[in-house]
Amino acid sequence: MQLTPLQYSEKIDEATKYVRQYSANEPRVAIILGTGLGNLATHIKPEATLPYQEIPHFPQSTALSHQGQLVLGTLENVPVVAMQGRFHLYEGYPVTDAVLPVYAMQRLGAEILVVSNASGGVNPKFTGGDIMVMNSHINLMFRKNSELFNNSLVPMSSEQTGTLLYDRELIDQALQTGREHDFYIHEGCYVGLTGPNYETRSEYRMVRKIGGDVVGMSTIPEVLAAHSLQMKVLALSAVTNVAKPDALSETTAEEVVDIARLAEPKLTAIVIDLLRNL
Amino acid sequence: MRKLLPLPFQPESPSMLDLHDKIEDAIAEIKKHWDKTPHAGVILGTGLGSLVKEIDVEATIDYSDIPHFPTSTAVSHAGRLVCGTLSGLPIVAMEGRMHMYEGYPLKMITLPVRVMKALGAELLVVSNACGGMNPNYRCGDIMVIEDHINLMGDNPLIGINDDRLGPRFPDMCEPYQQTLVDRALSIARKEDIVAHKGVFVAVAGPNLETRAEYRFLRTIGADVVGMSTVPEVVVAVHCGLRVVGFSIITDMCLPDALKPANVEEIIAVANSAEPHLTTLVKGVLAAEKS
Repeated sequence: MQLTPLQYSEKIDEATKYVRQYSANEPRVAIILGTGLGNLATHIKPEATLPYQEIPHFPQSTALSHQGQLVLGTLENVPVVAMQGRFHLYEGYPVTDAVLPVYAMQRLGAEILVVSNASGGVNPKFTGGDIMVMNSHINLMFRKNSELFNNSLVPMSSEQTGTLLYDRELIDQALQTGREHDFYIHEGCYVGLTGPNYETRSEYRMVRKIGGDVVGMSTIPEVLAAHSLQMKVLALSAVTNVAKPDALSETTAEEVVDIARLAEPKLTAIVIDLLRNL
Repeated sequence: MRKLLPLPFQPESPSMLDLHDKIEDAIAEIKKHWDKTPHAGVILGTGLGSLVKEIDVEATIDYSDIPHFPTSTAVSHAGRLVCGTLSGLPIVAMEGRMHMYEGYPLKMITLPVRVMKALGAELLVVSNACGGMNPNYRCGDIMVIEDHINLMGDNPLIGINDDRLGPRFPDMCEPYQQTLVDRALSIARKEDIVAHKGVFVAVAGPNLETRAEYRFLRTIGADVVGMSTVPEVVVAVHCGLRVVGFSIITDMCLPDALKPANVEEIIAVANSAEPHLTTLVKGVLAAEKS
């Protein structure tokens, strides 16, 4: 089944229309909460909480520890929309379905996307529980993403500045938050693979060699979608384990979720500072 | 006004939830022909089919007679399941395997591995013909696969996970059991066979790699390159099989002295190295018995 941009646009409209029934606020910031980081949503003063299965055309989240709902409300008096639970390509969604919520959140009014994920560190300077702010990525997901944006859905403005996917000011601000709160934030490159299996030792070595600092199974499709919509992007990665290919031990999903929770207060501080400074 | 372009994404199989029933259908058919519990499943790659001659064959089933099995189209692949005894152990062997470049979805290619598991196998033996990139290797050598890199751009586990078949996020810290790697290498030394231990990188193919691609694959840490095996191994790890893998280096891919590859020559080298592979597979299986 092929979908035309018009049909896709209608899907986004229907999703957006549905959400607007429950919340009049126009969110300025969209937040995607990844593995183990869903609790940031508890800081939001909620106006509406909509399970994904009720929103037209939203796919259903099947991943561990993801609740699957859209939260609208205010955080630090800024209207926000947050995805509690996200859609991974390893769950089998076409890219268009997986990023539909990003389109919907932008159409609701969001100009900034804050996205978080849990990742495996391959940079030996990293430790489990660290935060890395993404300044670039390497897309090894092999999914046809770009074609989606090469259509009339997104009229590219001639004023679009540069091709920086990750907003420099937002990165700097996040780093400053780290200094103010006295925790270290790395800046680095995220390598996206589809998964769902964790990487082999050789794959970790490859990721390091080609310039990656962390590796994960999400975020890149959402960032590409947001960028094509001219949203500013801040992407934060919670380093859940540091893979040492020469002494690799088993990785379990539960362990990843547990360590991601350690990173949660830091992540919360960064997002709250960002909103205060808007 | 800009022209509306169709979105060129392909709808994918959204889940593995249909696999359970397919496996049941396939084993029901196989059990009509052969009702033993195999200790191991063996996948025979390009040019390696003659290992079958060593099996005390008790049943042979064409893939086309097994429900949901794809039919193999590749050169030198026969396309049947051979059930019998090798080294005193009951085994099922796939004579001929399916490749991604033939256009099959990975879930279909890897179904036989799940069927082997469902029949009761504990061990998967995989073999392939590959291109050697490590300059210390030579044509006709065997490499015991120590680890792999998946660059096929796809994964057989994508889709809703069926927890009856395996975990959502299988760990890959030891897809090829190290004790089996060591055992295979020790058998090779005893039998005076040149065998290496190295990293296999899988690409989709079907074209062979460019010189620049060989340099790239070597740089990221691979010793040999091929177009198969990784999907089967990923699924074997997912469903809890131990794995041992063998690559026969059928041509040397040295980017600074690259010659055009010739499929007939590759198959000839594979055939001539085949007795070595047979010795190693039989040895590994014999050691399983004790």
